[in-house]
Amino acid sequence: MLELQNLNKYYNPGTVNEMCLFRDFNLQIADHEFVSVVGSNGSGKTSMLNLICGSIPLDGGKIMANGKDISNLPDYKRNKRIGRVYQNPSLGTCPNMTILENMSLADNKGKQFNLRKGTNKSRIHYYKELLASLNLGLEEKLDVKVGSLSGGQRQAMALLMCTMSEIEFLILDEHTAALDPKTADRIMELTDQGVREKKLTTIMVTHNLRYAVEYGSRILMMHEGNVVLDKKGEEKKRLSASDLLDQFTHISIECGN
Amino acid sequence: MKLSSCKGSRRKGLTMLGIVLMMGASVLSGCDKKKDDTIKVGIGQFAEHGSLDNCRNGFIEGLKAAGYTEGENITFYYENAQTDGGIASQIVDNFLEKGCDLICGIATPMAQSAYGAAKKQDVPVIFTAVTDPVAAELANADGTPAGNVTGTSDKLPVEMQLEMIREVMPGAKTIGILYCTSEVNSISAIEEYKEAAGEFGFTIVESGIQTTADIPLAADGLIGQVDCLTNLTDNTVVSCLPVILEKAREAGIPIFGSEVEQVKIGCLGAVGLDYYSLGIQTGKMAAQVLRGEKKACEIPFEVIEEAAFYGNTAVAEKLGITIPDALIEKAAQMFDTIEQ
Amino acid sequence: MTVLLGILEEGFVYAIMALGVYITYKILDFPDLSVDGTFPLGGAVAAALLCKGVNPWLTLVLAFLVGALAGIGTGLIHVKLKVRDLLSGIIMMTALYSVNLKIAGKANLPIFSRETIFENAWIEAMLPDGVKRYVTVILLFLILLAGKLALDAYLKTRSGYLLRAAGDNETLVTSLAKDKGLVKITGLAIANAFAALAGCVYVEMNGFFEISTGTGTIVIGLASVIIGTSLFKNVSFFKPTTAVIAGSLLYKWCVSRAIRFGLPSNDLKLVTSVLFLIILVFSEKKRRGKKNA
Repeated sequence: MLELQNLNKYYNPGTVNEMCLFRDFNLQIADHEFVSVVGSNGSGKTSMLNLICGSIPLDGGKIMANGKDISNLPDYKRNKRIGRVYQNPSLGTCPNMTILENMSLADNKGKQFNLRKGTNKSRIHYYKELLASLNLGLEEKLDVKVGSLSGGQRQAMALLMCTMSEIEFLILDEHTAALDPKTADRIMELTDQGVREKKLTTIMVTHNLRYAVEYGSRILMMHEGNVVLDKKGEEKKRLSASDLLDQFTHISIECGN
Repeated sequence: MKLSSCKGSRRKGLTMLGIVLMMGASVLSGCDKKKDDTIKVGIGQFAEHGSLDNCRNGFIEGLKAAGYTEGENITFYYENAQTDGGIASQIVDNFLEKGCDLICGIATPMAQSAYGAAKKQDVPVIFTAVTDPVAAELANADGTPAGNVTGTSDKLPVEMQLEMIREVMPGAKTIGILYCTSEVNSISAIEEYKEAAGEFGFTIVESGIQTTADIPLAADGLIGQVDCLTNLTDNTVVSCLPVILEKAREAGIPIFGSEVEQVKIGCLGAVGLDYYSLGIQTGKMAAQVLRGEKKACEIPFEVIEEAAFYGNTAVAEKLGITIPDALIEKAAQMFDTIEQ
Repeated sequence: MTVLLGILEEGFVYAIMALGVYITYKILDFPDLSVDGTFPLGGAVAAALLCKGVNPWLTLVLAFLVGALAGIGTGLIHVKLKVRDLLSGIIMMTALYSVNLKIAGKANLPIFSRETIFENAWIEAMLPDGVKRYVTVILLFLILLAGKLALDAYLKTRSGYLLRAAGDNETLVTSLAKDKGLVKITGLAIANAFAALAGCVYVEMNGFFEISTGTGTIVIGLASVIIGTSLFKNVSFFKPTTAVIAGSLLYKWCVSRAIRFGLPSNDLKLVTSVLFLIILVFSEKKRRGKKNA
């Protein structure tokens, strides 16, 4: 259960450019919910993710994860329970380290990074199985540096690495936006598969309305720091991409954009 | 893509091969040393300033007086480390590679570098302008050499300087000294000044600095508290002497120097060492070693004794001070202009 | 032979320091100037301890630890006080100048008369004269080898993986629920420990500590790392650490040749920096070229 309570967030406080993004923003996300978030640029989608992960400071309110206040925890401590995949595929992997080394790093999340061997040889077989499930042939390239892989391959690895350890929340920040349509479809399938298997509570920000409709159990549309549409269950199932698009245009016209 | 990377690695392979060949060739060329009769002497100097340059010229002159003339029967290699310890040791390695028969180290760190590297091959080292060879561990406490190394020391004539200041300024009570805390020679000289000052009725006020940038403020602070200033052979301070002279002139107090060059540019007077003759003395010691009369390890280091008074009447006039006639008579040289 | 020994000795000593610079500059992408202070720091510790009669081998360990402390200092300034990387190094380097003077007690502390790892009663008594000449270079090689192997091994541990990840992609370190600041501090500690160890060995080899020995250490370190890693990048059997050692030897060889063939030592720094610049521009260009491809 993730709760955002009365969040306040200002940009450029104290200057002429001061802008209030969130004022008393509230949101509750139940366990195992898969929430797709859509909205125009500047609507606060990514800021919301950044606030949850602690990447930017909060100006007021509380963030509760499973009933515990995490508002004052530094970003890296929150990440014990949170996995995040970024739009930029290179943010989720280490380009100068090999596939095997990257897998080992991810496998060791939550453990002590001490002087034990970085790669546990007995786990290699397991890594290979995981990689094979991606169907990208990466299991044959364990000693290849991740930097030489394509964006799609890297994003697939980032997703895999993110979900390898025991996390509860998965944050997807436009994670298919930088990929070609075919690869993006593949990554979405893998995402859905992973979320189901691990029963993760997921928030996915996307600009792809089709994904927002097809995947997940709940959909949010955001505009200027507010939730303007929130559908789940049967209601969501009835929603089509074109309905969403209409809604989108509607808001835009209302605001005079 | 594949092709170009392959080409790249081949080119790199060639570069590497070239490097290895060059290294090999240079080492080989280093091996077939021509045997010739001229004696080779490497002169390493730690820093570049007037007194050390005088030392070097004197050293060459001293060897000449003993029958070793450059271009005839002796070759000199000269390198300056410009106060870089790392380069100092590189210079010594280079001298050794050239097969030098003797290495002359001018100033303490250079002498230590030379001794440290040359002792492995038992090449004799002659030092000069080392204020305290015992503290530098180039000599034992009893004055005998620490190894195959000897030379001359440029110990400041502290008592003579104090006596001279007393003669010029009978009413003076306090003497200020600026020095750099990272120059070992200065620290030992300060101690000597403090010990000897009482005997002549002076109190020493010291002010330590770290870099030349600290000098203006330190000088201002010091000048306000003292009747006159005196200099050590502190490289940092001496290199900024014009700044201090200007401040002292404004306050109307004199500065006494530690060598002749400082008197030329505006110090009232100095009982100074003649670095040129220090060099000559060192050159003569080197000649003894080269001739095989004595080994460096058998000759105790020598301290130059001859110090003489230098004065500047133009400075005296400006400050309204008269230099006693008795001193002028003894003076090695008097100046009546201030060099700019 | 003399000159080869000289190059090897100097090259090995500076290679120990260059291994540290490799960690900061190449792995962490942190241009750490504190090395200019930690190299003489190691020397000051060595000289001061040897004068107190401490076992020469023990001074290596202590210098290593003291260097690590200085590295932690730089790291804390950067991570906790949020001072920029270059400035944190400059602050530490400047502070260490005074610290080094305090430790050594004075600017020039000779240890000619003390026992060092290179010159002691044991070596004097046990080894035949012919071998003695090579004792220094052999010991240096062994110390360097030990350092290199330890570093190679460390980079294969979990902690080492995290260090490499921190230089590669800070975001991932945060994603792994680890404090990237702490990882940087660890890296700086190891790097400066190596620099101090090198300084310690350098002083024992030369027989005296001199406050000015640190000047320009970072340039030698960077030059070694950049020369080594860019020249031997495609040599697959060369680990980066080996390449750095080769770079250090090559650099020292170049400097020694430059002096040998008549380059006045006054011009040395200019030539060094030009050479350095050329290598830097070349390796940057190559890197960019690759990125565009």
